[in-house]
Order: sequence, then C-alpha cells, then structure tokens
Amino acid sequence: MKEKTQVSDIDRSLYDFRYEEDERDYLGSGITPEIIKEISEEKNDPEWMREFRLKSLEIYNKTPMVDWGPSIEELDVDNIVTYIRQKSRMNTDWNDVPDDIKDTFERLGIPQAERESLAGVGAQYDSELVYHNVRKEVAQSGVVYTDLESAMHDERYADMIKEHFMKLVPPTDHKFAALHGAVWSGGSFVYVPAGVHLDIPLQSYFRLNAKGAGQFEHTLIILEENSYLHFIEGCSAPKYYEAGLHAGCVELFVGKGASLRYSTIENWSKNMYNLNTKRAIVSEGGKIEWVSGSFGSHVSYLYPMSILNGKGARAEFTGITFAGEGQNLDTGAKIVHNAPDTSSYMNTKSISKSGGISTFRSSVTVNEKAVGSKSSVSCESLMLDKISRSDTIPAMDIRTDKCDIGHEAKIGRISDEAVFYLMSRGLSEEEAKAMIVRGFADNVSKELPLEYAVEMNNLIGLEMKGSIG
Amino acid sequence: MTKLNKLPAPTFGWLGVNFAERKISDNTAEPVSISEGQTVRTDITADARYELTAQENKELTVIMYITGEDKRIDISAKAESGAKLTLVQVFDKGAFTASALSAEIGDSAQLSLVQLYIGGADTVSEIAPVLSGYGSTFKADIGYLLDGDSRLDINLAADHRGRKSTSEINVSGVLADISEKTFKGTIDFKNGASGAKGAEKEDVLLLGEKVRNKSVPLILCAEEDVEGSHGASIGRINDEHIFYMQSRGIPEDKIYELTARSKTDRIIKLIGDEETVSRINKSLGRSDDDE
Repeated sequence: MKEKTQVSDIDRSLYDFRYEEDERDYLGSGITPEIIKEISEEKNDPEWMREFRLKSLEIYNKTPMVDWGPSIEELDVDNIVTYIRQKSRMNTDWNDVPDDIKDTFERLGIPQAERESLAGVGAQYDSELVYHNVRKEVAQSGVVYTDLESAMHDERYADMIKEHFMKLVPPTDHKFAALHGAVWSGGSFVYVPAGVHLDIPLQSYFRLNAKGAGQFEHTLIILEENSYLHFIEGCSAPKYYEAGLHAGCVELFVGKGASLRYSTIENWSKNMYNLNTKRAIVSEGGKIEWVSGSFGSHVSYLYPMSILNGKGARAEFTGITFAGEGQNLDTGAKIVHNAPDTSSYMNTKSISKSGGISTFRSSVTVNEKAVGSKSSVSCESLMLDKISRSDTIPAMDIRTDKCDIGHEAKIGRISDEAVFYLMSRGLSEEEAKAMIVRGFADNVSKELPLEYAVEMNNLIGLEMKGSIG
Repeated sequence: MTKLNKLPAPTFGWLGVNFAERKISDNTAEPVSISEGQTVRTDITADARYELTAQENKELTVIMYITGEDKRIDISAKAESGAKLTLVQVFDKGAFTASALSAEIGDSAQLSLVQLYIGGADTVSEIAPVLSGYGSTFKADIGYLLDGDSRLDINLAADHRGRKSTSEINVSGVLADISEKTFKGTIDFKNGASGAKGAEKEDVLLLGEKVRNKSVPLILCAEEDVEGSHGASIGRINDEHIFYMQSRGIPEDKIYELTARSKTDRIIKLIGDEETVSRINKSLGRSDDDE
C-alpha cells in the first residue's frame, strides 16, 4: 500500500514569531463606555470623534449578531483587548522604530519592499502606526499618505476626514462595523490630487502581535478626478491559542474618471477572526479593482463592496481563497449598480483542503437607475479531499429590464485524465496535482503583486504535498 | 406570519431572499394517494394533499391543474427503485398559493418535474427532492410568465445523497409589468454522494421597467468526487438578436412577443398532454393552432 505523504499544515514560520508585550500597555478588555473614553483620551480625539465612538458603542450594544455565515460563538468579544498603547510615537525614520518592532517588520520584508518597489509604506503594530514614510517625489506631487490620527489632527485634512469617516460604512451597517466605530485605532489616510497618476504602489502592513487582542485599523482613501493609485494591504499575526479579532474598515472614494487598484493579501494566523468591512464608491467613469487573496484566519467574513454611483463606473473583483485545516473562510464580493451604463466583473477561485471550509458569497444589485448596465460573475471551486467543504452562495437582485446580467459557477475535483496526462509526460502524481491547482489559480495569482504570487504558489506546493496518498 | 421557502444556507439579510414570509392557515384537506394508472389528471382549486408513489420499475404521470382561491398544496412523492415518476403542475392565474413538494427518489429511479406558472397573484412554491438512491435522477423544467403585480417565490433544493445521482434543473421565464420573481435553486452534494452530478440553468427575460428579479443559485458541496455547475442569464433581448429578426422583416413588438413565447413554449411542449395544453393556451389567450 502506498504510504501517504503527510504535511499537517503549511509552514507559517515566517509569520509565527512574536515578542512578548508588556501588559501594562494594554487597556482593559471588553467594550464599555469607560474603555471607549479612555481610548478617546489616549488618542486625543476631537470632540466629534469622541461622541462618534460613544454613539457607535450604543449601536453596537443594540445590534444583534449576524444570523448567517460561519459560527463566531467562540469569539468572546468581552475578553478581547481593544487597544494597546503605542511604545513609541509614529516615526518617519526607520532607525527610530523600537528594535523589536523593527525586527518584526524586517523579518516580514517590509523595509526591503519599500526600498525596491514602493512609493510609500505604512506599518501598524497592534493598535498604532509605528512607521509611515512616502517618497519625496510622491509627496511633492501632492499625494498625502499618513496615519489617520495625524490627518485628523492636521487642519489641512481634518474637515476631509470628518466629511468621509464612516460615511460609506456607517456603524449601523452591522455589529462589527459598530464595534469598529467605537474602538478604531490606526490605519492609513491617502489623498491623491486630481490628475496625479502614481505609477508605483503604496503599501500598508498590519501586524497584530499581542495575545488575545483586536486590531481595528481604519483605511480611508480619497482619489480626486482622473487620478490613479495602486494600494497594497498586507496583514499577519503570530499564532496563539486565544482568539484574536480583526475588525478593520476600509473606505474608498474614487472620483470622476479615477482608478484605484486595491490589493490585499490576508494571512492572519489560524486563531484569528477576520471580520473586516471594505467598501468603495465610484463616481462617473471611475474604476475600482479589488484583488484579494485570503489564506489565513480561523474564520473570515470578507465581502468588499463596490457602489457604482456614477455613469459608466466600473468594478472588477478578482479573488482567491484557500481554506485549510481548521479554517472557515466566507469570502466574496458585493456590487451595487446605481447609475446608467455601469459594469462589473467578478472572478473568483476557491480551494478547500484538509477539512477546510470555503464559501463564496456574493450579491449583485442592479437598481432602477442603472439602465444599460452589465455584470458578469464567474466562480470556480476545487475540492481536494472528502473531508472539506465548499459552498457557493451568489445572489442577484435586478430591478430594471435594461441590463445584461450573467453568472456562472462550477465545482469539481482534479480530473484524473489531466493527472494521467501529466504523469505520462514524466511528472509525479504530486507534481501533476500541484501544477493543476496552480493552473486553476493562475488567472488570479497573476493579478497579485509578484512577491505574493510567488508566496501563493509556494503555499499551494506545500499544501499539495499532504494530499497524495 | 410564517417563514416559507427557507434558503438552505442563508445569506445577506438585506437581500430579502432567506425566506418568504406569508400568512398561511392549516392545510385542512384529507390526503389523496395515487400510485396506479399511467397518467392521472387532477384539478386543484382548494387546499389539497397528495401522496404519490411510482412503484418499483413502473411509470406514473400525474398532471395537476391548479386554479382558484387561497390554498395550500402539500405533496409527498416517492419514486421507488427503477420507477419513473412524472409530475406536471400548471399554476394558472389565481389567488395566493402555497405549494410544497417533497420527494424521495430511489435507486435508478427518476423524478421529472414540469412546472408552469402563469400569472397568479402570489405563489410560494417549495420543491425538495431527496436523491437518496444510487443512480437516482431528478429533472426539473420550470417556466413562468408573470405580468401585472404577480409575485412568485420558488425554492428548489436538490439534495444529493446517493452515489452517482444526477440533477438537472432548467428554469426560464418572462417578467412583465411590475411582477416580481425570486428563484432560489440549490444543488446540495452531501458527503458520500460520490460521482454525483448537478447542473442548474436559469434564463430570465425582463420586459418591464419596474419588474424585479431575484436569482439565488446555490451549490453546497461536502463531497470531493462531484461535478456541479450553475449558470444564469438575466436581462433584455440582446441587440444582435433584435437586429437579426428585424433584418428578416419582423417588427420590434412582435420580436418581444415571440421571444417571450419561446421561454414558455419549451415547457408547454414538454407537458405534451393535449387537454392540458389546450387549457394553458386558452388561459394565455392563444389558439391551439397558434405556432
């Protein structure tokens, strides 16, 4: 009998290192008005923000948990530490960042990436940004890339923040949006002036190091008319036995004729609950492109939403989800066509293995005003064994007759014929299957930033080693 | 209010597709059993209950023509090993109807379901076949033609449990005026249903600025060795099709009429039974000789 090759889990050593936190830096756990006031004081919030936080807390307390999707019963929000004091002020010089934090990000390759291929970098460690820098020529073009708190206290941007903050994702949206409104901390603010085309990307990296804590960063990006930006977001955390929570929020305002590409590689450890909310509103002739790779976390609820609000606005969503042992990843996208001649395209792949559960969930809404709109959704799922699960739950709500909407989905296994063919060309069964899975994910992986595409291919190779036998 | 047509895996609440909430009363009808005779026709105008059994290696066809006032129709069907059960249901214009069909399909047995919804004030229809037998087959051909303020909510969930079971679901229809339709179609591959195949297709023609269409095609999968697919196409008649037909001398309003008709004619042809087809044509204001 053939011996089964066993690799119990992927090699996460790149992410699974940590430095002990000084617990005096923690505010108490739980969600109470006292904690909220303390966070507000710690961050020297303006009065409107202090009130906003407290109002959000009220909404949080009144809002029920979602009654669909993966179970989050094991997540005890009352035991989550929502805020950890920063060890140092935010720096623009890498040498000024504390050693342990510096070492963390160096091991993740962030400063190297900045030197080689990025226009600017932000790095958040637990609750606060510890580093933010943008290339001189980028800053000179009028692009603003800073942490949200600094922008809120800067009189040049304070009104802009007040005007846009949680307007796309109001705290009433769902329970964890309300929680975010109450305890948010950190995140990036990006402003791209009209006509500025940023050829190289900006990247924010979010690292949650502390045990039993939450990260609630808020990313706010505003693109003025005819501008272009590629923004990359990366997330990771070391593994603990205690549950961690990520309830961030991303709000993207894409101006007339502007184009924003938002790439995310989510690689949280498998004790994390990733309950993140992302939303973009796109004006006339504008475009939002989402590229999303979901590989980590214990439970994920993640459905970036695009609101096509101007004539001819476009949205594209390209996503891949890889659910392994102990993971229940519920991912997808939501699109609202709210203006004439808008178009959207969604293309996703999901892979389930070693008992992992992968769910593709989507909605396409075409409102009465969206005459002449088009939408196409394509999702494919691959099951790699009998103990995993893969569900596809799309929905379309169409309210005008003058539109064209298409949807297709497929689910299946690796074809024996394809494996046989590749083996007849000299590949081992393991290599053949890994190649087929890479091919399955190819049109998504080629949309990822190069270093992440390579990482994803490695991950597939590692996962596939455990599947033969 | 009672929650009917519950989606097997609920989704975003704001879409309003997780269930259909209606006020219903108890079904007061005595059950009627049908298990013999090759073709049985029945008219339903009030509450009704049926127990249908296609016995081992035999064929049974039941044709139900449904009209009349508020009513509930509950059908429990069984296709025994090697049997073929064909159920035709025509929901003609009428008042509120809550229909629930549960079915069990045995080894190498087949259930063919043909449904046509013509108008109807408000119809909530649940279809729940369980493909428990090895090589069992479920085939559904569903058509609808809704106008005025008609509402239709269909929840079909094909539950694959048997090895090499097969389901094929084809739905096509037309929405006009201010009608609303929700079609929830689920192919559910349970663990152990190895070699199962399921395919679902929906084609919706929209012919009114204020129509509302919701389509929710689910695939739930807990088995590796399966093939599942679904596709949906929703919208107006495409411009190339209109151009082609106009180039053949057909005026635009006739093009819409012919295209709409083609969506239901496929189902009417499948029904076949002359008497039933004649009633459908009469209800649609067509002559039996119309082509």
